[in-house]
Amino acid sequence: MTRKFKKALSLGMAAIMTLGLTACGGSSDSTATTAAGGAATTADASAPAASGDTKVIKLFHRFPDDPCNGFIESKIAEYESLHPEIKFEVTSAQNQPYKEKIKVVVGSDECPDIFFSFCGEFSERFIREGLLLDLTPYMEADQEWKDSLMESQMKEYTTADGMVYGIPFRLDAKEFFYNKDIFTKLGLEAPQTWDQFIEVLDKIKESGMDPIAEGNQDKWPSAHYIGALNEQLVTDETRAADYNPKSGEFTDPGYAEALEKYQQLVSYMNIGVNGMTHDMARLGFTQGQNAILFGELVEITNIKQENPDLNWGMFKFPEIEGAKGNMNLVSGAPEGFAVSSKTKYPDECVEFLKWFLGAETGAQQAEQVGWFNASKGLDKTLTDESLKSAYDVIANAEKMDIWFDNALYSTVCDEYLTQISDITNGDVTPTDAMAKIQKVAKEAQSLAQ
Amino acid sequence: MKKKKNLAPYAYVIPGLLMVLGFVYIPIIVNLVYSFFRLSSYSASMKFVGLDNFRRLFTNETFPIMIRNNVYYCVISLICQVGFGTFLAFMLESNLIGDRFKTVCRNIYFIPALVSLTAVGMMFNFIYNPQMGLLNTMLKHFGFVSLQQTWLGDRNLAIFCIIAMSQWQFTGYITLLMVVAFQNVSRDYIEAAVIDGAGPVRRAWNIVLPLAKEQLLVCSIITVIGAFKLFTEVYSTTVGGPGNSSQVLGLFLYQNAFLHDDMGMAAATGVLIFIITVTASIFQLKVSHSGEV
Repeated sequence: MTRKFKKALSLGMAAIMTLGLTACGGSSDSTATTAAGGAATTADASAPAASGDTKVIKLFHRFPDDPCNGFIESKIAEYESLHPEIKFEVTSAQNQPYKEKIKVVVGSDECPDIFFSFCGEFSERFIREGLLLDLTPYMEADQEWKDSLMESQMKEYTTADGMVYGIPFRLDAKEFFYNKDIFTKLGLEAPQTWDQFIEVLDKIKESGMDPIAEGNQDKWPSAHYIGALNEQLVTDETRAADYNPKSGEFTDPGYAEALEKYQQLVSYMNIGVNGMTHDMARLGFTQGQNAILFGELVEITNIKQENPDLNWGMFKFPEIEGAKGNMNLVSGAPEGFAVSSKTKYPDECVEFLKWFLGAETGAQQAEQVGWFNASKGLDKTLTDESLKSAYDVIANAEKMDIWFDNALYSTVCDEYLTQISDITNGDVTPTDAMAKIQKVAKEAQSLAQ
Repeated sequence: MKKKKNLAPYAYVIPGLLMVLGFVYIPIIVNLVYSFFRLSSYSASMKFVGLDNFRRLFTNETFPIMIRNNVYYCVISLICQVGFGTFLAFMLESNLIGDRFKTVCRNIYFIPALVSLTAVGMMFNFIYNPQMGLLNTMLKHFGFVSLQQTWLGDRNLAIFCIIAMSQWQFTGYITLLMVVAFQNVSRDYIEAAVIDGAGPVRRAWNIVLPLAKEQLLVCSIITVIGAFKLFTEVYSTTVGGPGNSSQVLGLFLYQNAFLHDDMGMAAATGVLIFIITVTASIFQLKVSHSGEV
């Protein structure tokens, strides 16, 4: 009996060790078996790879979940059939592992020709190393293409010295979503000013409900409130100087005020904000337990999946009367694709992006995935009312204000998010939090060369 | 007469040796070198900064928090996994329980260890969810509403919630390892002890445990090493939060490497983890007089 048991045991141990190994790979392996080394391809394996005419373009994106993944695959297959000389090798990974993988491959010879890249600091660090293709000449050469894209969105994919380095794939912005049924029942209207907002929140709270659904376990969701509050409480010039790691100080009193305003909002949120993720908290909104959600436009797809019958609307982040900052910004940023400067086929890559991120594909993408790209006039073909109003939010935005957590230098961002997390729990005061952030910002000045 | 040297065994050893050298020892040395530089994963430039990475590591505000959390994890795991796990192993090997029941128990204890760490993390995210989580719901159901907590969202509780999760997962694993060790103890000694009139506790303490000492040592070494390499459990639940309250060395290393583009700092943290685990292992080997009976 013992021998048998031992045999079974050793087999079991072997199994655990293998499991242990995969678990150590953790985040990366579980999410994207296809990502490592670009092993899996969507290109037809039987295609004559040896023929010299075939141009292989490697594409790496961060949307491995359906419906988006299926949409990308079908579009690429369509493009391949239109252009028989081009073959794609597509790999993907989830958001978090993607950010790590792309940083590792982008500097290597394995760099994909076309890859997803966030705008702002995320891409600009690659530009400093000369790793991204300058798309400006292509845009200049094709005025029609340039004119077909929204300026407000393209601005985000342009450096301060005018280099265009990416084309948006999906647009996004942050808005307050509200449950219309609850608002009607309580006789409330969508607030426009901060004072009205607090009044609305008080009334909802009196009715025995936690007004706002929020989960901050991943730390970024609460940062979006701060980003939106900073827009209003701190002037554009001061923010621009502070968000730049070389000159960031964060001494403006508006920053502490933003944290105080956020603290005020926390008292209206569901319990355990730090104890759950944003997605879990969103269920509170979609299931009607909370009346308000500070959500992204791309979450409309999720809201519809979670509760198709929910009667909801949107309102802008309320205006703080008398604040000295900019009231006309919309928090959010486009997300798009960039081309590697090392690619062998720059013309082909740009040609593909023109089609893939153009109006025709964009209309289908909005229809099938619920996300739209930066092409103008997509609202003409949109049938869904909520998507239409979402598109309007962005199309009417005079200027976007990039996500707070993307705008900051990584160490400053880390400290800021940590402090916001502590403020959410009430473990630190806004003034003390700002003192810590100021200290890290000072260190960052010497780190960011 | 001179014995002819047999070279064949060396030839068999060399490929393995090269692999270990290439994949273990050289990276350790390279890592040590990197810890004196400032570099990122995608940039070709490296700047020598001497011991600055270590200075920044040791003066970092989260450094004491990380060490504290890793030590908590280590001590609690030693008590719960190795201590309680060994106790369970004794129970499973004693005559108190029937044979069939023993096998069932062994499997029940062991199964959590088979689940992937990330999956366990996801599961416990749901259990600890303050609004609809299993734990708070149960507490409410049994009338302990005052004991309800935000668990992973509470800075004083987060790390202990994560530690508890690991105990749930790995105690059965240690139990199984110890059961095997106890089964290897020769019946002769035990029978002799019975004849000499030793009771079950004395037999366990004075006969079985000393003879299974080496296995116990292995268990405690893997537990201590695991405690300082802790990563996935935290990454899949709190990612160091709320604030920095559940930050640990392994996660700090990872975040510096891939989030802050600070490979030098990550390498320095790696060196520290390496020194801690090696020291702890040597210490345990010395204290236990391994190899002696």
